[in-house]
Amino acid sequence: MDGSSDAAVVARVVHGDVEAFGELVARYRDRYFRYAMHMLGNREDAEEALQDAFTRAYRSLSRCDDPERFGAWLFRILVNRCRTSGARRGRRLKTFVSDDMALMDASEEHPAERRAWREEIDRALARLRPEQREAFVLKYVEDLGYDEMSVVTGVGVSALKMRVMRACDRLREMLSEVHSV
Amino acid sequence: MRGPRALAGALALALPLALSLALPVAAHAQATANTLSSRLDPTTRVAVQAIVDSARLAKLPTAPLIDKALEGAAKHSDGPNIVSAVRQLSVELGQSKRVLGGGASTAELQASATAMHAGVSSRDIALLRSAAGPHRRVTLPLAVMTDLIGRNVPVATASQVVVGLARAGAHDSDLSMFERNVRLDIERGADPSAAAQTRARGVMLRTAPRAGTRPPGNQ
Amino acid sequence: MSDDKLFEDGVIERIAGELRDAERPSAGFDARVMASVRGIARARQREHRERRRLWNRVSQPRTITVRPWSVGLAAAALLLCASLAGWGAHAFARMESAAPAAASGGSQRVQFVLVAPNAKKVAVAGDFNGWDAQHPAYQAVHRGGGVWSVTARVPVGHHRYSFVVDDSLWVADPTAPRVVDDDFGTTNSAIVVEPEIR
Repeated sequence: MDGSSDAAVVARVVHGDVEAFGELVARYRDRYFRYAMHMLGNREDAEEALQDAFTRAYRSLSRCDDPERFGAWLFRILVNRCRTSGARRGRRLKTFVSDDMALMDASEEHPAERRAWREEIDRALARLRPEQREAFVLKYVEDLGYDEMSVVTGVGVSALKMRVMRACDRLREMLSEVHSV
Repeated sequence: MRGPRALAGALALALPLALSLALPVAAHAQATANTLSSRLDPTTRVAVQAIVDSARLAKLPTAPLIDKALEGAAKHSDGPNIVSAVRQLSVELGQSKRVLGGGASTAELQASATAMHAGVSSRDIALLRSAAGPHRRVTLPLAVMTDLIGRNVPVATASQVVVGLARAGAHDSDLSMFERNVRLDIERGADPSAAAQTRARGVMLRTAPRAGTRPPGNQ
Repeated sequence: MSDDKLFEDGVIERIAGELRDAERPSAGFDARVMASVRGIARARQREHRERRRLWNRVSQPRTITVRPWSVGLAAAALLLCASLAGWGAHAFARMESAAPAAASGGSQRVQFVLVAPNAKKVAVAGDFNGWDAQHPAYQAVHRGGGVWSVTARVPVGHHRYSFVVDDSLWVADPTAPRVVDDDFGTTNSAIVVEPEIR
């Protein structure tokens, strides 16, 4: 991967260098896959939503007004795709299969406990209302500011703050239920 | 050869005149067809046109089908997806016409097709038609039903609530206010089903129920 | 960490920290995306070549020789044009329903408002304007404070529409009934316009 800015790569793609789009895919796929996984809860749906987002971005690349901010523009497309995918399939409260490699890093807790705790978090996240889950993940996992979140979601800042607050309350409530048994 | 020359001369005058009459009208139809052509690839356009032609033969409104194709093009959807959406809408319009009857307006058919697309059964749409009475348009009640479902009210609850309101004689203005209140309640964190049932009870209290009407949901 | 301590402080941070540990897409993901993208590029090239071929055919100058027997041909052409006018009128009536309604009483003026403080451009696209986000009559104006609005004619009837922000983000109208309409991956809004009561 070279050090070209997003705008430079976008310009190459728009001028006919299709393969250059692969650089943009490589730059954003891991982070945005994480978001799609948290929103949709399973690998298959997350990959499909992310692949769809990249394809749509390629189709409308010439309409990207600010190629320097390609990442944010792509993220908006992905947020929309995840909303549709979630609505169409319904949320599935299935057991999340965690990647052992991701979890087996240094931890003072027993690996099995750590895995169980992670699965509880994933289950609690899945039980949030979609718009609360979206706001929570954007704020606390993707570390976006509220203004950025507003651009990506099309929702006003005060509504987003309320959703984040509700999400935090619900998560605390659900996870304290688990631990009080 | 004066005869043929005179005829040729007359035709030379008549031809441009005829063209000037025919071309603007044909041109408009052509322009609209060109819009579909310019926005859809040839394969998709042919498939969409076939669905539109079948719908016309079945005396269904065709504008919603063309609009659906244009929407797909505007949103950069691929051809097969556009054709599938147009075909599905055609089916739903046909079902709506069977349920609502030949006297249903295009707006009612569109609203009904949209509600079916959201999961409302033909049976519930027929119940709404019957509950609203023969002289009342069901366009807005159907739109409210669809909206509730879009805000995560279960389909059965949404149908039951709106049919109940129609039976109780709620006007379109009551339904608009009801929709707005439920929306605000949900935005404030209310459970969608509870919000819909609670607000419906409020509307029932204000409208004059018909004899034997019971509010929907639990008391 | 004991359960009590877990839930006094930092529980959200702990949850977020866990969630930042994430899986990656499967091997082959990049290849699948690029295969799809290459397919789109090839289809565009084919379309471009086809359009150029048609244009070349249409724009080639041709020499027309007039012969006496072409008088009969002109007469046939006249008949054809006359019947085209009839067909054209029929097609016009057929397609008319897809065009925006004339402002003749079969429509109402409707105000569309969206709060979007970070938007650079907001438009309304729906079945009343062919889903055309560039339609000049449906471009919103920024009124200040992040408030965008446009007032435009909408035909009487049931319609689906959406705001389009910055030519890329389709946003349902937060103040309007929703349409569960995910054929193309976005949520639309519904509006029912009634005829004016005189």
